[in-house]
Amino acid sequence: MKKNAKNPAAKGASNGDLHAPRPGDSSRFYGTPLPGVNTEELSGNLIVIEGTDGSGRSTQIALLTEWLESEGFAVQTMGLRRSALVGEDIDALLAENAVTRLTLALMYSTDFFDQLERRILPALRSGLIVLADRYIFTLIARAAVRGISRDYLHGIYEIALKPDLTFWLNVRPEVAFDREFKKSHTISYWESGRDMSLSNDLFQSFIRYQSMIKHEFEYLSRRHAFTELDGEASVSEVNKQLRKQIAAELGIRSTHYHPSHALAHLWR
Amino acid sequence: MSTRAADIASPSDSSGEDSPIAKRPYPGALVVVEGIDGSGKSTQLYLLKRWLEIGGYRLHFTEWNSSPLVKSATRRGKQRRLLTSTTFSLLHAADFADRCERQIMPLLHGGYLVLADRYIYTAFARDAARGCSPHWLRNLYSFAPTPDITFYFRAPLDVAVTRIVAGRPKLKFYEAGMDLGLSLVRTESFRIFQERILNNYDQMIETDHFVLMDGTVQVNRLQKLMRQIVGERINLAQFAPKKK
Repeated sequence: MKKNAKNPAAKGASNGDLHAPRPGDSSRFYGTPLPGVNTEELSGNLIVIEGTDGSGRSTQIALLTEWLESEGFAVQTMGLRRSALVGEDIDALLAENAVTRLTLALMYSTDFFDQLERRILPALRSGLIVLADRYIFTLIARAAVRGISRDYLHGIYEIALKPDLTFWLNVRPEVAFDREFKKSHTISYWESGRDMSLSNDLFQSFIRYQSMIKHEFEYLSRRHAFTELDGEASVSEVNKQLRKQIAAELGIRSTHYHPSHALAHLWR
Repeated sequence: MSTRAADIASPSDSSGEDSPIAKRPYPGALVVVEGIDGSGKSTQLYLLKRWLEIGGYRLHFTEWNSSPLVKSATRRGKQRRLLTSTTFSLLHAADFADRCERQIMPLLHGGYLVLADRYIYTAFARDAARGCSPHWLRNLYSFAPTPDITFYFRAPLDVAVTRIVAGRPKLKFYEAGMDLGLSLVRTESFRIFQERILNNYDQMIETDHFVLMDGTVQVNRLQKLMRQIVGERINLAQFAPKKK
């Protein structure tokens, strides 16, 4: 029902071709370029892993980092709320929970661009491989399910750098719930969308919220050509798929890898 | 109450077709002042506010960059000089969104006359002068309600710059546009930066229906004109104290 309320707004403003990636456009950005960036200097690669909490993103990033380092590539990671500029402020806003959806969306975008400009771009200039634990897509999906129009969000993020590869670890909300519960023995306020008053039953709230997010990701996946992987497969299987695609992108011949003793516990 | 609100709903808010969030009509009104530093806009808005306050009107005054929510981030960004043109712009937009959603919109829906010292046009003029794309900025602020009146106070660059430089011991880093590398001399950088902003404002006079006010006119004469325009364009009776 909520879905219908949001769609007209998104469709109504669909002069969206303006922001849609143009075919044959070799630009590194989705639309207007980020001010002050010479893309010729960017010799590194940006690889994004998207997926909900419980989809196995951080496990895969830890394993990929080790594999890439063993292959001689320097790796830089990024994730949400890690900027020096506003990372802590967002934590405080979330804890306080007096913040409105638009302000929160814009604080997340500030956090994102601070990391992009002061961390990712310098790393890419130095030829590093940047592994992003989530990217603009999570930020767009979260804001869109809260009723902020997709065109508005794409307009903000049109100045973001396009990743070389975007993987989506797709898991069913029920599986994400099991994994999250096993990990932290509770379900977080924001991951269950409790600010949206979906249900007083937290399990229901979590499932409904994550289903809405998943729906947004299906749309984003088509629009931005994600590589969708079955996040419910075993860690080693998902990792194998990731290595195969990344190896092809970076020109690594062998995709052989077995985790070191330190990471062996992740390999199940 | 609801029928009354519908009768006097401001026509300006119906322009929300492309709004990122759902907009609905409101009974309040929004009056905005814009202009470069030293153009006299704050003085004039203060005098307008005093006139209305003394008359007992239902009003609220709001300023650019005054929300406690993102204050610590803004301060940190400025002190440690972490801000780029993009993050500078986004942080101010987050700040404005907070004020807009928690203060300006509820007050407009509650039937207040809202007076704003600087509004989204400040961001359009200043952030574009820092290198942000005007098209990107327009989208970023598309959630903001359109003002009923936007007064644009225009003073010649020399007059405005002299007023500011004489009144302050030292210009701040971002205020002077030092992040742009225009000049190593702070007052010179400030001048070039303000000139760019002034040009950007001028380009919005027609597109955004600014009411042009000559900032060199005597304060009391200018205020008389301002009050006259507000009286003509806004039905002040709806904000007047209710007689019992």
